[in-house]
Amino acid sequence: MNGATSTVALTDVGKRYGRTVALAGVDLTFDRGVTGLLGPNGAGKTTLLRIVATSIAADSGEVRLLGRDPHASHADVTAVRRQLGYLPQELGYPSDMTAFGFIEYVAVLKEWNDRERRSREVRRVLEAVGLADRASVRISRLSGGQRRRVGLAQALIGDPQLVVLDEPTTGLDPAQRADLRRTLSALGHRSTVLLSTHQTEDVAALCERVVVLADGAVRFDGAVTDLVATAVGRVWLADEPGEDALVSWRTGTGRHHVVGGRPPPGADPTEPTLEDAYLLTLGSDAQRAHASS
Amino acid sequence: MSSLSLPASGLAGQRAMAVIEARRMARHPVFLLGVTLGFVVLGLYFVLVDDETGVPVVLTLPILGAFYIGLTTVIAAALLTRSTEVAIEAVATAPGTEARRTLALAAAGIPPFVAGVVFSAALVVAATVIGVAPQEWWFGTLPDWQVWSIVLMCPVACLDGALLGVLTGRWLRFRGASAIVVVALIAVTLLGQAPLLDTHGSEWRLWVPWALFHTGDNPDGTQTLIAGNPAAYLGYLLALGALAVLAAMWHDRSARTPRFRALVAAVALVALAFFALAVTTGNPDNRISDPIPSRVTR
Repeated sequence: MNGATSTVALTDVGKRYGRTVALAGVDLTFDRGVTGLLGPNGAGKTTLLRIVATSIAADSGEVRLLGRDPHASHADVTAVRRQLGYLPQELGYPSDMTAFGFIEYVAVLKEWNDRERRSREVRRVLEAVGLADRASVRISRLSGGQRRRVGLAQALIGDPQLVVLDEPTTGLDPAQRADLRRTLSALGHRSTVLLSTHQTEDVAALCERVVVLADGAVRFDGAVTDLVATAVGRVWLADEPGEDALVSWRTGTGRHHVVGGRPPPGADPTEPTLEDAYLLTLGSDAQRAHASS
Repeated sequence: MSSLSLPASGLAGQRAMAVIEARRMARHPVFLLGVTLGFVVLGLYFVLVDDETGVPVVLTLPILGAFYIGLTTVIAAALLTRSTEVAIEAVATAPGTEARRTLALAAAGIPPFVAGVVFSAALVVAATVIGVAPQEWWFGTLPDWQVWSIVLMCPVACLDGALLGVLTGRWLRFRGASAIVVVALIAVTLLGQAPLLDTHGSEWRLWVPWALFHTGDNPDGTQTLIAGNPAAYLGYLLALGALAVLAAMWHDRSARTPRFRALVAAVALVALAFFALAVTTGNPDNRISDPIPSRVTR
């Protein structure tokens, strides 16, 4: 599919906050399937997702969502938003509402006007995120992970064609993350799903495509396996940290996981992970990214 | 299509949103506290105030409902308005605009309005059952429409309280804003009319959001009915409420279409017209009742 007919087509998109360049000349298209956005803090992931979610406008370049320019007219942005589900990075919740009440409120905003159908849909998305039994509990009494899932549920209302999730796995325990992966992979069969995360294992487990952003620019865009392949032969297990390694750390076995640089004496090549490949792609930014992940 | 013109499906959505907002208000603890206080104080008044001739100064009692229910409703509505804004990024990327959400929030005024109607009904029923002094400004000494207009100021004030709360929630984002608005409202109401009540120009007090029409008992046992047309004043209060909603919707830049500006101007003109009617028609001067012997204090 080319840019003109893609669900999301970004051409030379730029965005600044004062003197800070958040995005610089980004060209990307997204279609059905799950795409993971990786990048260190401040790489521009959230800005990119907010532009795709129609929350903010780009300063330059062309943005087309579902074939429309979302900022051309009120009708265009409304048409896009009818097919959009968005989980922002930081979502607050009305303290007086239950999980069901909040999702129902968003469902009404998303034009689910028939009460019976709306209730069914709210129950469906609560079921999808594993919160069916907590539907009548006030959100203020839910745990952080459960609140995050409430946020995810509201993004899933109406099976939108375009789903934008900013760090959906934050605050989730491993079992919840596994559930979320199941939900999102099913969604990816019929929708375009963009998600940002610091968890490379989520991207490895879920996404067929990965985009690495750093300093507002695309450093890598391709299949997850292709990104991992770039690290083959550049990762070792060694008895000592590599002197010129990009990053290295002592593992639970007592040996050092060495990424990049020259192999230390006695090092054994090991199968690279997505995280290794991601760190190598970032290059000099890797220390910062590794510290933040 | 402007952000305010609603297709049929939009109207259904607006209704659904309005139902949600009305329910949220009906369950809001601050509103429930106000309603409880209002009815408890009214009940205590009937039980504790002892007068052989019946319920005293009954036409001043709507202020109890306006005070306890109306003022707490300002706070409750402001809190409701602010509460969904914590989820603003998710909410704002749904198809509906902020102006439509604000319009739906106006429905939060329904429970306070109903509470005010029940309060006024309780007042009328109790006064009818217990009785009032024949000299009281009440049915019999005043035209029925004037009595009903003054009694119905209570539910209208409760409704307006909610609409003022929505306006406050939309525009004032600092902590305690609604409490400050309540204090300002009381100050404006008192200072805006107190100097005028005993003058020949007392009808000019009617610009304030709660105008007194009845002084209560004077020391010589009489009561003063203050000049003006209470029915037109009710219309003025309703127009002020509508203006509050429009001003809250004005917060959404996308709503400021030429049609919307014309609507604001039209409602402002209606408010002015009702004010002019309230000032120029009805009772032209303050009226003094016959003295009620049991109320003479000097």
